[in-house]
Amino acid sequence: MSRQTVIRIDGLGKRFGERAPLVLDDVTLHVEEGEFVCLLGASGCGKSTLLNLIAGLDRPSTGTIEVPADGAAVMFQESALMPWLSARRNVELALKLRGVPRAERRAKALELLDVVNLADAAEKRPHELSGGMRQRVALARALAQDRKVLLMDEPFAALDAITRDLLHEELERVWRETGRTIVFVTHNVREAARLGERVVLLSSRPGRVAGEWRLDASGPRRIESPEVSAVSIEITERLRKEIARNAA
Amino acid sequence: MPHDIQTAGRVAPPEATRLETSRPAIDSPGLDTRPPSSGATRPAGAGSDLPAGSMPFPELVEREASSSPDEAELRELAAGLDRLQTDETRRESRWRRFWSGVLPPVILIVVLLVVWQVYTVVARPRPDLYPGPVEVFTAIGAAWESGRLQLAVTTSLERGVIGFLIAVAIGTPIGLALAEVGWLRRAFGPFVSGLQVLPSVAWVPAAIIWFGLSDATVYFVILMGAVPSIINGLISGVNQVPPQLRRVGRVLGANRSQLATLVVLPAALPGYVGGLKQGWAFSWRSLMAAEIIATGGSIGFGLGALLDQGRQLADLSAVFVAILVILFVGILVELAIFAPIERALLRRRGLLQEGTR
Repeated sequence: MSRQTVIRIDGLGKRFGERAPLVLDDVTLHVEEGEFVCLLGASGCGKSTLLNLIAGLDRPSTGTIEVPADGAAVMFQESALMPWLSARRNVELALKLRGVPRAERRAKALELLDVVNLADAAEKRPHELSGGMRQRVALARALAQDRKVLLMDEPFAALDAITRDLLHEELERVWRETGRTIVFVTHNVREAARLGERVVLLSSRPGRVAGEWRLDASGPRRIESPEVSAVSIEITERLRKEIARNAA
Repeated sequence: MPHDIQTAGRVAPPEATRLETSRPAIDSPGLDTRPPSSGATRPAGAGSDLPAGSMPFPELVEREASSSPDEAELRELAAGLDRLQTDETRRESRWRRFWSGVLPPVILIVVLLVVWQVYTVVARPRPDLYPGPVEVFTAIGAAWESGRLQLAVTTSLERGVIGFLIAVAIGTPIGLALAEVGWLRRAFGPFVSGLQVLPSVAWVPAAIIWFGLSDATVYFVILMGAVPSIINGLISGVNQVPPQLRRVGRVLGANRSQLATLVVLPAALPGYVGGLKQGWAFSWRSLMAAEIIATGGSIGFGLGALLDQGRQLADLSAVFVAILVILFVGILVELAIFAPIERALLRRRGLLQEGTR
């Protein structure tokens, strides 16, 4: 495996304040270029803290973290589109802030919207779009940042199951087309097993790496696939053990 | 690594060829006969807006050639779901909206006038104390013919508008600074709120002493009335900007001034326009108060002066004329300028329920 490592986290610890309890403890995680990693964990596992650290929005207390110098694109649970801008203008805003000259923005934005199958809805405003469409616009906007790494913080958690299922497929396709490195945070085991090439399970309080599963992402996968179910069952069992540990 | 499962028993291909070989090989024997351009697999209409020949994202375009029947299916599926999940928004016709907005107040005014006229005819109150609609309308005609009405309206309106625009120019940067800089706001916030509560007429005596009976007096009073409202409107608009929009702005790489101009200010626009509306109301009121108190000198003949003249002549019809005209101008500015702006703003953001306004 000669893929380049783009995110290198070694022995990372994080606490908020001197006396505060550890949120993340001795987390080691290397993510290779073009990899699709799912971070999975129950509440209190410090998933969002870890994402903030990777995004460069926060600094570690101990350990080291190496990320691309230009930072990462981020997508949130809520689409957070600017409600006064059309889908196209929302994508153009990201291009503008990246420094793309005005003349090129429109064509690029339309191209990116086409990547997420929304070329027809380019002139619609967010309130005219469904939740799934809004998340796809947000994905196009994240792609417009043109960063190697795309961080996704439970982006489909608020969507209905049918839409989420479709967006999994869309995201997988976009990942293959663009070759982005994706770190996808979720608390949905099946979602992680459906999407990731690698699933990293974090324990809670403090967040530690409790297990890692590698999946074959080369073939077509569905959330109903037996392989996905098999891994999900195994991960769930492990996750439950980790959660039960907290009862003591 | 505690677990290492190859679910499908296949080993992932090495990096260089991963993307090309990772296409599903099972159900797509037609993969080799892929269409020459990705456009051919798209449903009609999709992507037709894309200018030909521009390839700003070479890495995307290159790989798009791998469009397979699978992808067309996915596109169709997505399009179907999108259609199901969005409603066609039906708009009321402009004409219908106009009538539904204009008719109720017009009917109300007509009813009030009729009641008023019936009262004067039936109860016969003293005409010098309780003039009827007919007397008032006659007085309007008289004031119009002498040219005093037009003069008063244009003088006051011009002052009101100029004063308001100056207030906007002063209030906007101050409001933005107070909204965005914490310590400035803690220092000046209560002071500005206090100024807003203070009736600006209270400044008239001081202004007369400072500036004499000149236009400067009038403008000073307008500014003291309007600027605090505009500042407070902008601050409350900024307060209501959802925090995730700021966060996205920062993630997208906006610096402080870009964040203010591209994210915060447009997001705060509805609150800002609300503040402007209130600012105009305060401008107009302050102007009238100033014109009533400060007459003569180099101060021209405005609506306030018209009102004061009516009082001095004990001509109640003339007083009513002035009041009605002041009211009418206020309503006109609200309906013709602020209402359409607010409406358009709210509609763009999907905050307007059709038929409620």
